[in-house]
Amino acid sequence: MSEGTTKVAPAVEATNDDALSTDELLVEEVSIDGMCGVY
Amino acid sequence: MSRSTERQVGEFDPSRQWRLDPQVALRDEEFGALAYHYGTRRLVFLKSRDLVEIVRKLATAPSATDAVAAVVSGEQQATYEAALSRLAISEIISAA
Repeated sequence: MSEGTTKVAPAVEATNDDALSTDELLVEEVSIDGMCGVY
Repeated sequence: MSRSTERQVGEFDPSRQWRLDPQVALRDEEFGALAYHYGTRRLVFLKSRDLVEIVRKLATAPSATDAVAAVVSGEQQATYEAALSRLAISEIISAA
């Protein structure tokens, strides 16, 4: 059941490129389907 | 054997030319960029400025491999090609 609140918290931090080791650190997908007016 | 000319979502061939999908808006951010696909309504975080630069070079580079090589070198290239593969799956980039 939906809580009825829309929370957009990407929690993205600036990352150090030198420390990146996997593609997962480079790309993160967030589904906003159903959220209106957040972008 | 002929290759299908149909768009093959999710199949990433780095030897081909790719581009930012026409339905995607890319917005620069401190961490890299936000990519929003107006068709799929997917929001994707590109968490590296190098990756953003690579994505922007895709349209003019003869292949994705060339675009990656223009920005990063050595063992990082495989990582960034894998990141492009993820962007292809998300339809943020598409074959040119």
